[in-house]
Amino acid sequence: MSLDILFNQFMSGIARGALLFLVASGLSLTFGVLRVLNFAHGSLYMLGGFLCYTIWGHLLLPLFGFYIATILSALIMAASGLVIELFVLRRLYHRGWPEQLLATYALILIITDLVKWRWGGEFLSVPRPKPFTGAVFLFDFPFPAYNLFVIGLGVALAVFLWWLVYRTHLGDIIRAAAHDREMVAALGIPIPWLFTWIFVLGAFIAGLSGAVAAPFGAVALGMDIEIIVECFAVVVIGGMGSLPGTLLGSFIVGQVYSFGIMYKPELALAFIFMVMAVVLIIRPWGIFGRPER
Amino acid sequence: MGNASDTKEEKVLRRALILIIAVGIGLVMPHVLSPFYLMILSEALIMSIFALSFNLLFGYMGQLSFGQAAFYGLGGYAVAMLITKAHFNFWLSLLAGVLVAAIAGLIVGYFCVRLRGIYFAILTLAFGQLLFVIVYKWHDFTGGDDGIQGVFPPGILTSPKVYYYLIFLAFLGTTYLLWRIVNSPFGYVLKAMRDNPERTEFLGINISRYQLFAFVISAALSGLAGALWAPFYRSVAPFYLMWVKSGEPVMATILGGANTFLGPVVGTFVMTFVHAYVLGFTYFWPVIMGCFILLVIFFLPGGILGFALEKFSTSGRENSGYGRGRQGSSGDKKSD
Repeated sequence: MSLDILFNQFMSGIARGALLFLVASGLSLTFGVLRVLNFAHGSLYMLGGFLCYTIWGHLLLPLFGFYIATILSALIMAASGLVIELFVLRRLYHRGWPEQLLATYALILIITDLVKWRWGGEFLSVPRPKPFTGAVFLFDFPFPAYNLFVIGLGVALAVFLWWLVYRTHLGDIIRAAAHDREMVAALGIPIPWLFTWIFVLGAFIAGLSGAVAAPFGAVALGMDIEIIVECFAVVVIGGMGSLPGTLLGSFIVGQVYSFGIMYKPELALAFIFMVMAVVLIIRPWGIFGRPER
Repeated sequence: MGNASDTKEEKVLRRALILIIAVGIGLVMPHVLSPFYLMILSEALIMSIFALSFNLLFGYMGQLSFGQAAFYGLGGYAVAMLITKAHFNFWLSLLAGVLVAAIAGLIVGYFCVRLRGIYFAILTLAFGQLLFVIVYKWHDFTGGDDGIQGVFPPGILTSPKVYYYLIFLAFLGTTYLLWRIVNSPFGYVLKAMRDNPERTEFLGINISRYQLFAFVISAALSGLAGALWAPFYRSVAPFYLMWVKSGEPVMATILGGANTFLGPVVGTFVMTFVHAYVLGFTYFWPVIMGCFILLVIFFLPGGILGFALEKFSTSGRENSGYGRGRQGSSGDKKSD
């Protein structure tokens, strides 16, 4: 096996990891602050993809159509996130996590059906947007330029979230609330609104990543379940609610998938679950996570 | 918790009466219902076994397994493969289905019982998906995404009416077995672990071993449900192991009431019959189901049966289990 094939697998693993990071970071952020594992995060991602397809089709702008569609999809998903938080999750914070999990599970059923009703069961595709249509050569090896765009976006989101969580006043509140919610509330910070805006941000990221994923593969029913299960693996490996953990988890899962496909395509997913099971057994709270009290 | 006027004899008598009526209704059903609704009833009974086995872990042990469908599916696959490929005896195949699920439960459970709360849920989900992927991709052995067709029960059991009686018997047996289990010393240890794991451990009880034992029983009974389903439906498919299937007993149990013994059965019956009814006029039943679940979670916090018992019964709740009464007392307070 030659070195350039390994390099190619490595790079496609990085690209996949970047997409996983886009989705998983929203999931992890929501869980870190709200302590709600949002099963429906993948559904918001899927809806973002479908919206991007439809808006892009209506815009007919060859140059910026995709980018405008992406931002609009993300904004629409943020608005849906607002509705979901206000009308569903807000009623359930004082209840046990099984009910919260089941409520987001119910949202999956509803969103999947709405997508089926509006878009049907076909595979839809969005062409790669303008400057990223071709291939670039890295060390004389062709590599899809769009993958570089996804990687760049992943890095940008990581930097943005790092800045938000560790360098702003809001970030101080986010970290404090993740640590001790009652204390933060006692200091006069309106926790319900913090939760709302964090959930909206998570939904925005989900919509954005779904739109970005549209030219990456196909937009279709089932892309939600496919991604959410891998995202669970990412946040469990890295540590739920931890930003560096999500980054590392995305990298690991992307690489395991990419090299797993090369070794035995039908078992690529199984390898991911094996890694996840091993991490859960050795360090149940993940590599960067903190054990919960 | 009995009412003051409610003596023990009255309670036993009332239970016996309800049981006799229920069994009587169950026995005459094949002669009353149309073939379609008899099929739905059979399905509801099988799924009730599945949900009851899930609730041994959830309602009584306090751990949510999101990979229960893997055991259901393995039970079904074991029966389907033994009957179609090895032409094995039907009854021995059923037994083998239960056994395969129990062994899988032993292996998966060995890892899962080390974890609590949401981590337990995710690890069971991961193992379930792992088993699903293996069945789905191992085309030569399991038939992959084609599944297995032509799983016929022998002789007289091909009649849906006769097969219904087999299912009904299995349902009664499972219910009785689980009733005995949750009211045995072992069942009380499970509830103690749910309500206060630290104190239970201080009493010298090996939590992991007890949880593993409960996990294996639950897996075996889920396997029984799958094993009964395969010859009833004449086929198996990989999605029986998938997490979507694992969600069904979770939904049914929380819908019916996790802190009542028969809550999972009530939830399953409501779900199965609503499904059958809604499919009569629209394909979009998940959206209706989803809204229905949200409404029950919002307005009936203890589930349908839990709510009904609290409102109308003098005997109250069977066990003060998972739900409102539990918060603050258990190990997963952190999730509040």
